[in-house]
Amino acid sequence: MSASVQRRPGESILSNPLVGRALGCLALSFVLALMIGKQEGTQQDFGLAFRQAVLGPRILWFLLIGVLVFVLLTFWPRVQPYLNRPGIRPLAVGGLTVVVAYALLKWTDSTAVSDGKFGTLSDAASQTGTLAPLARTFFTAPLPWVLFLVAFAVGAAAVVIRRAVLSWVGAAIAVLAGVWAWYSHSLVQSLLGSPDHSTGALVALLGFLTIAAACAATALSAEESANTRGFINGVFAWRPGMPLVGVALLLGLAGFAIATWFSPGNRNATLVDTASMFSTTGLSPLSKAYLGWLGYVLFALSLALAAYAAYRRDARLGWGAAGLGLVSLVLNLVALHDISAVGASTAYDGATGAWQNLGTGGWLACATFLLLAGAGYIVATAGSERGTIARTKADIAAGIGKIPGKSKALILFVLAGALFYPPMATPFWQKVLVSEIGIYVLLAIGLNVVVGWAGLLDLGFIAFYAIGSYTTAYFVGALPIQPPEWMRLSPLLCIPIAIIICLIAGVSLGAPTLRLRGDYLAIVTLGFGEIIRIVAVNNPGNFTNGPRGAFGIPQPEIHLGPIHIDWGQASLQYWYLLLVIVGLVILAFNRLEQSRLGRAWAAIREDEVAAQATGVNTTRVKLLAFAIGASTSGVAGVFFASQIGYINPDNFVLNNSILVVAYVVFGGMGSLPGAMAGAAVLTWLPEFLKDQVPAEDRQMWIGAVILLMMIFRPAGLIPAKRRAAELHGLDEPSSAETTAVAANEGMGATK
Amino acid sequence: MTDFLNYLVLGLTRGSMYALIALGYTLVYGVLQLINFAHSEVFMSGAFGSYLIVGMFVHDGQHLAWWQVTLVMFLGLLSGALVGAAVAWGLERVAYRPLRRRGAPKLAFLISAIGMSFFLSQLAGKLFNRLSQNQFPSYFDQNKAVFTIPGSGATVSRIQLIVIVSAVIMMVFLDRLVSGTKLGRSIRGVAEDAPTAALMGIDIDKTISRTFIIGGALGGAAGFLFGTTFVFSNIMGFIPGVKAFAAAVLGGIGNIRGAMIGGLLLGVVENLVPTFPWNGSGGWIGLQWTDVVAFVVLVLVLVFRPTGILGERLGRAA
Repeated sequence: MSASVQRRPGESILSNPLVGRALGCLALSFVLALMIGKQEGTQQDFGLAFRQAVLGPRILWFLLIGVLVFVLLTFWPRVQPYLNRPGIRPLAVGGLTVVVAYALLKWTDSTAVSDGKFGTLSDAASQTGTLAPLARTFFTAPLPWVLFLVAFAVGAAAVVIRRAVLSWVGAAIAVLAGVWAWYSHSLVQSLLGSPDHSTGALVALLGFLTIAAACAATALSAEESANTRGFINGVFAWRPGMPLVGVALLLGLAGFAIATWFSPGNRNATLVDTASMFSTTGLSPLSKAYLGWLGYVLFALSLALAAYAAYRRDARLGWGAAGLGLVSLVLNLVALHDISAVGASTAYDGATGAWQNLGTGGWLACATFLLLAGAGYIVATAGSERGTIARTKADIAAGIGKIPGKSKALILFVLAGALFYPPMATPFWQKVLVSEIGIYVLLAIGLNVVVGWAGLLDLGFIAFYAIGSYTTAYFVGALPIQPPEWMRLSPLLCIPIAIIICLIAGVSLGAPTLRLRGDYLAIVTLGFGEIIRIVAVNNPGNFTNGPRGAFGIPQPEIHLGPIHIDWGQASLQYWYLLLVIVGLVILAFNRLEQSRLGRAWAAIREDEVAAQATGVNTTRVKLLAFAIGASTSGVAGVFFASQIGYINPDNFVLNNSILVVAYVVFGGMGSLPGAMAGAAVLTWLPEFLKDQVPAEDRQMWIGAVILLMMIFRPAGLIPAKRRAAELHGLDEPSSAETTAVAANEGMGATK
Repeated sequence: MTDFLNYLVLGLTRGSMYALIALGYTLVYGVLQLINFAHSEVFMSGAFGSYLIVGMFVHDGQHLAWWQVTLVMFLGLLSGALVGAAVAWGLERVAYRPLRRRGAPKLAFLISAIGMSFFLSQLAGKLFNRLSQNQFPSYFDQNKAVFTIPGSGATVSRIQLIVIVSAVIMMVFLDRLVSGTKLGRSIRGVAEDAPTAALMGIDIDKTISRTFIIGGALGGAAGFLFGTTFVFSNIMGFIPGVKAFAAAVLGGIGNIRGAMIGGLLLGVVENLVPTFPWNGSGGWIGLQWTDVVAFVVLVLVLVFRPTGILGERLGRAA
């Protein structure tokens, strides 16, 4: 405010930072008002949508948001000291989680409730006389929001004025609200009675519990400010594998106690119900025992063993826990197979066959055992001596030293999710997982080699995908021009051929264009992508069948000695095939990044002239990057063609090429997990947004998300280690210099 | 011969629009060494903005006198240029400046521009109802021949004449602006060597902002011309944008005269080559290969002249 006084003559009022910020915030709220709302207007009246968006009273709400943002930004320095108070972060996270659960997520899949979201569900539930009064009360209009706001406000007040009593009150309200929400939802579900995959109630429960935990942390902490991250790191540095055990405990409790195991027709049988359903059938004794008691015992045993091993950091116990977890996993899978197969043969109404009609419970149990086995493995390989890597808690807090097993734990989480989440998902999400998320993850991995590692901007990447698809279509005989009889192949056998053809295509695109620098290369590759698509449309020599494309591409199958696998129509099988392909590609590329070639790519990416001077054969190395990326894309093409069964040039438009580049950069250029995460998030987002905004507006929101990501985190979701090292130095994080003076002096410097 | 000349005029018309858009790419590339992927949406918003203004003054089915048409055209160009400039300015503030302050990697700019491009084109779609075939009101007979090229039956229609003449005027204006004014000098200075330019007292942020504004004005005016000649929609920017980007590269990206030549050349080539030998029977290659021809020519030129026809550098060549 004093800035306006000191304004020099000749400077306009706009150059006052406060005024600029206020205008920016108001502009932001104006744009938000334009973005949110129905699609309106006609050809005769273009202004209608505009008038509806900003001339009604609703604009006031948006302006209010703008003003709030302005106030928050302006008084940020005053807010900041409170941000290090204990409990504030979990409070914020919990609050956000509950809001998301209330506002965005589905609370039921039942078609009786139109969009299945909280608002519609609670409207319907509060009017339903047959619902238990307890649940009906909960769903009565403002109550859930009031509960949430009260819990949140009490928690916030407790953080600010630091009174333990207040904290415990907040925690109690939060727990009450969470349990009430969960219980009411389960009452509603039992009334609706159809199998359900919705997550709203669970997420709300977790959010409320997080708020409760925040309140408890506030009450229990003696210090003015908290270093939450340092505390957590300090705890887990001694006990690698412990987070996995914790998550496994939650998943296992949900799986064994409340979740559905078997759901033919409209039944929702928990583990106990399933055991009694199968008590008189011809289920094998082992599976019967598993359902009856063995499952619980195995869960308790392996949980206890893993937890004790992690607590003591004992390698032998760790191996034991790993073994027990794997054995239990296998037994669990056997039991799942048995109940679904026997259930179908004894014709429970609606039971359709092996691996069908299974609820979430069995898969949750699978994930539990996998995580427990993983925890044991991490303990076993972490080394038994305390402090081999990290010396003191202060070191950990300062970010010196690595927490053992952290990356392994993350990989295990992802693996457990990838293996056991898809069978729990609805058929719609299974389809999305395979034909959107999975395929684009594979493409992003391939493009990451070209863009992220070698630093060559390729805007025509989808062309190789097209080449892979059309190669498959040709060799299985789905195109007008048939291959000779001896060359007819099954789709999976097309993979090596597609790789070779894409290698050739990549090299023949790369060879003449390698003289070109970054942006010239971009337009040439873009042109190449368009040329391939237009060739496919224009159908020279009747090879590509024009805009109609190829159809009737057979599903992949394997007949190898005794093994017969036939991928049919359902998406789930393809998911596991894709998982194998992606896994192999990741293994190979991971090695590649560390190799001589990977380092050569980094060198030419950073400085081509210097790389050449140090003896890197830049032409060869660039060509290899192109060819390797192209062949990955080709594999994705084969998979796509044989999974979907028909292809046409519309699958290979320029927009998709640009999107894949956006995925790679969004995730974190040059980082393998980053590229995968970027592709997964940005392909998941449109499907998620489908329930939130008008379908045509999705791309607008995605554009906004990409833009915000680049503004606030230009290095991407998961930045590459090598790039981070280039910016901050390889040996130590930058925070070590500033905060760890005492640690460096006391325990000996880590350098 | 008649067909050849007709296609040539057609190519020049399209080419001058490409050139106007390409100038936006090339100006930004000159000062930032970045491809402004959202420039195609600046072009698009110019069409919509000028439509809203022009639509207030003229109506479908009117027949205006030539001086009225000229006035409306001038108004359209001006409003398109203003809207384009405003959008380009906002674009720079939102999608470029914050990243520049953070020292983001080069590709992050590309992606933020792509995000902005999605955002703008879909926001326009939301506001203008996602119709794919919007048309300006027809207030004069666009396709009436103005004159016949002597020695053949080829004609130049009114709209073609308007497009070419106004594009040439704007390009000459830009050329003078960049080579002759103080602003032009600072743009060239930043393009040549930004840190040194800053040491010489040039405000880099301001110069970059103004470069976006100039490029946006040209793009917005091109949007008006394109919308008047053909149809316009919220996704109209994509293909002309890609072509104009190709044209900028063809001429030597960062080079203003290069962009003009590249745009005209691309327009002419993509109209003449597929219709060869110009006897009115569709040509040997066929019109469906137009885009392939454009890109093949681009690749061939780049293979033999890796930095485009006139070479790079805004600073040197202008």
